[in-house]
Amino acid sequence: MKIVVLFSAGRHPASGAPCPVPVELQALRLARDLAGADEVIGLHAGPVDGAPLDALGHGLGRLIHLRMAQGDDPLPALAQVLEELAPDLILAGRIGQGGEDGGLLPYALARRLGRPILADAASLGAGDDGTLTVEQALPRGARRRVVLRLPALLTVHPAAAPALPFTFAAARRGTVERRDIAPAPAAASEMEERAYRPRPKLIARAAPGASAAERLKAATQAASSGGRLLVDPAPEEAAREILAHLRGIGVLRRRG
Amino acid sequence: MSVGAGLAFVILGLSVIAAALAARRARLWRAGQPAKIDWVAGLLAVPKRYLVDVHHVVGRDPSAARMHALAAGGLLGGSGLALLAGLTGSRLVWAATALLFALALAGGLLVGGRRYPRKPARLSGGKFQLLPFALVAYGAGALLVALDAALGHALAPLGWIGLVLAAPGGGWLAFQIGRGPMRHAFAGALHLAAHPRPARFDGVSETALVPLDLGAPRLGVATPADFAWNRLLGFDACIQCGRCETACPAFAAGQPLNPKRLIQDLATAMQPGASNKAYTGSPYPNARPVAGIGGPDLPIVGAGAMIHPDTLWSCTTCRACVEECPMMIEHVDAIMDLRRFQTQELGALPEKAGRPLAELRYADEPGGRALAARTDFAAGLDLPRLREGGHADILLWLGEGAYDLRHGRTLRALVALLKRAGVDFAVLGEEERDCGDLARRLGDEDGFQRLARANVATLARRSFGRILTADPHALHALRNEYRAFGGDYEVIHHSALLDELVAAGRLPVGALAEARVTYHDPCYLGRYNGEIDAPRRLLDRLGVARVEMERSGRRSMCCGGGGGAPVSDIEGDARIPDLRMGQAKATGAGIVAVACPQCSAMLEGVTGERPAVHDLAELVLMAVEAAPVAEAAR
Amino acid sequence: MSRLRRDPRAEREAMRIAGGARPRFSREASLPVSARPRRDPRAEIEALLVPGGTRPRLDRLSRGGVRPVRDEATSPSESTVQTRIVTEPAFLVAVVPDAPGGRLTPLDRQLFGAAHLLAAGGGAVLALAEPGHDDLAGVGADRVGPLAAVADYDPEARAAAVAQALESLNIRHALFAETAEGGDLARRVAARLGEPLFAGAESLTPKLVTRPARGRRVEQRRAPPRLVSLVADSVAPYGGASCEARAVELPAPVPTTGAILSAEIILADPATVPLGEAEFVVSAGNGVSDIPSFLDLARALRATPGASRMLCDAGLMPRAAQVGASGTVLGATCYLALGIAGAPQHLQGITGCEHVVAVNTDLHAAMVERAGLAIIADAHAVMPALIAALEDEP
Repeated sequence: MKIVVLFSAGRHPASGAPCPVPVELQALRLARDLAGADEVIGLHAGPVDGAPLDALGHGLGRLIHLRMAQGDDPLPALAQVLEELAPDLILAGRIGQGGEDGGLLPYALARRLGRPILADAASLGAGDDGTLTVEQALPRGARRRVVLRLPALLTVHPAAAPALPFTFAAARRGTVERRDIAPAPAAASEMEERAYRPRPKLIARAAPGASAAERLKAATQAASSGGRLLVDPAPEEAAREILAHLRGIGVLRRRG
Repeated sequence: MSVGAGLAFVILGLSVIAAALAARRARLWRAGQPAKIDWVAGLLAVPKRYLVDVHHVVGRDPSAARMHALAAGGLLGGSGLALLAGLTGSRLVWAATALLFALALAGGLLVGGRRYPRKPARLSGGKFQLLPFALVAYGAGALLVALDAALGHALAPLGWIGLVLAAPGGGWLAFQIGRGPMRHAFAGALHLAAHPRPARFDGVSETALVPLDLGAPRLGVATPADFAWNRLLGFDACIQCGRCETACPAFAAGQPLNPKRLIQDLATAMQPGASNKAYTGSPYPNARPVAGIGGPDLPIVGAGAMIHPDTLWSCTTCRACVEECPMMIEHVDAIMDLRRFQTQELGALPEKAGRPLAELRYADEPGGRALAARTDFAAGLDLPRLREGGHADILLWLGEGAYDLRHGRTLRALVALLKRAGVDFAVLGEEERDCGDLARRLGDEDGFQRLARANVATLARRSFGRILTADPHALHALRNEYRAFGGDYEVIHHSALLDELVAAGRLPVGALAEARVTYHDPCYLGRYNGEIDAPRRLLDRLGVARVEMERSGRRSMCCGGGGGAPVSDIEGDARIPDLRMGQAKATGAGIVAVACPQCSAMLEGVTGERPAVHDLAELVLMAVEAAPVAEAAR
Repeated sequence: MSRLRRDPRAEREAMRIAGGARPRFSREASLPVSARPRRDPRAEIEALLVPGGTRPRLDRLSRGGVRPVRDEATSPSESTVQTRIVTEPAFLVAVVPDAPGGRLTPLDRQLFGAAHLLAAGGGAVLALAEPGHDDLAGVGADRVGPLAAVADYDPEARAAAVAQALESLNIRHALFAETAEGGDLARRVAARLGEPLFAGAESLTPKLVTRPARGRRVEQRRAPPRLVSLVADSVAPYGGASCEARAVELPAPVPTTGAILSAEIILADPATVPLGEAEFVVSAGNGVSDIPSFLDLARALRATPGASRMLCDAGLMPRAAQVGASGTVLGATCYLALGIAGAPQHLQGITGCEHVVAVNTDLHAAMVERAGLAIIADAHAVMPALIAALEDEP
């Protein structure tokens, strides 16, 4: 099975240094586990290959780097090369880290290639005659097992097996193939950028179904710095308080 | 032919056999890589290294020293003299020979007394249990022969009986040169001459790891043949005395590491078609199953080889085994070379160790935090920065601990003290990258070298007198390991600087409320750098009653925080810091003084009733604040 | 209570009888009805009040777009309309809720709040949802476009239906939930329409949406485009009058052939879900010796059991259950700590937990300080009470 893993030009969120996107490295590991290291090709389109080059150290044997100008649209070039490579499976991270970080490219690519796309793969297993069993990560640790006909494009979820650690010798061994591609200027964007600033979040309300006195308490005390403290309550009262609190947070699942 | 001449012939013959077996064993070392050795200086230094350095280690157990001096001295001296006596036939020489063999006999009896009726756990069994019999037989038999010869064959039949006794005893000993207990004799002597770290015999702290050539075709050690030949020789020098296993913190905690077994596995692995079945010492605790097969060109580490990876990653690189080894074997270097191959070639790290290494690679910081956040602990304190081209008397290297809440308190205390003493100091701020210690100990030599080069370049653009740090790991890296990358600095630990300042009267101190304090030596300060006095002097200046733990100074026990052990997190029966805290508690002290962020984190993690953990800087600050007002107001 | 606002000057003008030198007024003339309702400053202040804290705090800026939505046209009034009715909307703002199992999530409700912000000025909010939902009118849907139900898991078919609806109706904005399911749908629709998606918006006003980019180092901002997906807790849910939720007709779906052959959901078992992924962790420490009843409690709460190092070292709980720096670092929403004092390493393991509940006998334990709700009591007394209370409920 031939697998292409897409790599983006990631940046480390704290240092800003070029850094492969962790979930793409996890995709690489899924691909290696499924098809063996020799069947996996990395593909990156971008001006420089700083971050994707590190993927070689994380277990990628061969990287194809499509060189394009800053601000160009990588989609046509990626689609062209992927049509030429015709892999059975294309893997991408669910979302980038260091670029637009919108997670839109895999979908646009799938649409362009006319392939089905499935999001949030956590583990892969080969099925019979051209099918693939994908375990999709759902919130709260649930999974959905999907059987899919290949060829397809999958995005990988962080719940997948951890990436292989960086191995210097592997980085030394890996090969890079550089190709120049025709310029494809991206459509002008109205986007304005400034330094990131955390936005305030909605403030949690009192537990629904609590009495008026409890709501008052929740509004005045719970959100204040320390938290609520009950000293030596009766066990039943303590249990009631805990359950009301848990319900307020919304973690207590109803029975049935 | 006289019985004396007979003995001389037997000894001559056995020597030839022993030499042949030794040569056969030595051929195995040729599988190793070439090493540059100053043979002349090495051979000339052997007597000094043996009589001073080895004796210093052996002499920690005086009965063992006595035993070895008698057995080895008597055996070798007696046998040598017997050859001379057989040649000359002089009765005087025979008399001297008899005296030496009497010593050998006494030594043999002491060896037996140590192993019988009950063998201590640290000693190996098997052939080692036969050793006293062979020694006694040879010593006693040769004594009879020599006495007989010295007395002009007055004991005629006894002399022959002695020869009949000495020949098999000596024969057994000679045949043990290749693979048995006696191998240590010739391999140990050669190891002293061709030691891979000759400087350690010159009183230098020769503990820096040797940088790995990243252009080499194979990084680190996969097979015995990848070791330099004199390292293979070093493994053969092991006498299986088990001192390393009693010192090893991982062994004590029930993690699958036993330094003695590790060295034996390495010594066994260099033989073609090797199997670990012949080993008779204590096993790896909670040993993970391995195939136990090896050979000069077969992998050493792996479930299908000699050593399980968990064994490798249990090591805290505390060097306690190296410190205790009478044969001067470098266990930690061997472990580091094996780790380097695992990390750099295979990427076979413990699962949780991968993340800090990745963060180090991409953020220069194992927690993936912003470098600018390193000085967050000093919020509200005015922390001077050393900018490019600037100068400060003292550059304060904050280290990894600055991100830790607990160690942040220590650093705040240290900064407050420096200000109070009027020291001209500054920090690098966000220009300070991790020192790379974690990367190096986890075998990520590429990561370490990258960080080392970057830090050396940063430091080269600034002018400063000394580097001060509260982190012994950073101290070791900066002082000893950066030298190979062009960084030659005077690095001082905060305990030494505070000692200087208090001694000079720049920090007037009062008495501490808690009187009994015990000091826990950080491995990277005590054993790696030999600094065990300054912290104690400093504590004494604070007027506390200093009590020592069962293990202290150069023989101190590790807290379990070094060598990446906390991130490798190999499961054992107990935790190392709990064991260490138990020793601290046994002293009855109310405070354990620490001098390292790893130690304070590990020991603070011990739950239950226990002494308080305070860094030296915190104690000094407490004492300074307790100083009489008039003085403090100066 | 609140009437429409009176305008005395306009009333006088309406009553004036034309002509004559002196002004003359007719009481019979019909008074003009002002379009503006009367203001109620007290209610407005109340709406700006930020809950929590001892001092009243007013959020007048609402910088983050967290703003309780009040629709000016349908300000609550006893005498006037109970239901917000938009007869001829100038445009539509579509909301595509996740609504797993037909139940709206908090984020879905917030989407409607955001949609009402965007629909101000003559727009109407259209919910594009499969039939069989709970109260769409109450959460703020002026119109409901019933999407054809997709039998099995076929995200592409759903995306096709949504894209078709967006193309056929006059939709100015479409809002999606930035969750696993909703985010996937939004991107599929964007790819189908060949339009950009403003993914993961963190604040939204009619003039400006913002989102993090470049590894959360940069904030991108622009006027809201057509397709926006919104993260949780960034906009308050719709709080105005109930809407009419009138059905609109959607074009019939074009059948698609999917590549998905089969799909089945494997529910996470709280007992076996990896500790790091669990949503709710209940953890025992040194103060708990009755492990069986602790495990019973974990089962009853449907929480994943964890433990402190002490219990793991003692062999009472498996090593994999260990919470803390040397065990597992949690990503749970809530952490219930029973008899755990809170060693620094342990607290490091729960830094990511939003809510902490502690039951401990020691008032001065670090865990009590960290907890949002702390009970100073013996865990052994509280555990059976909790189990009993859980059994009592319906």
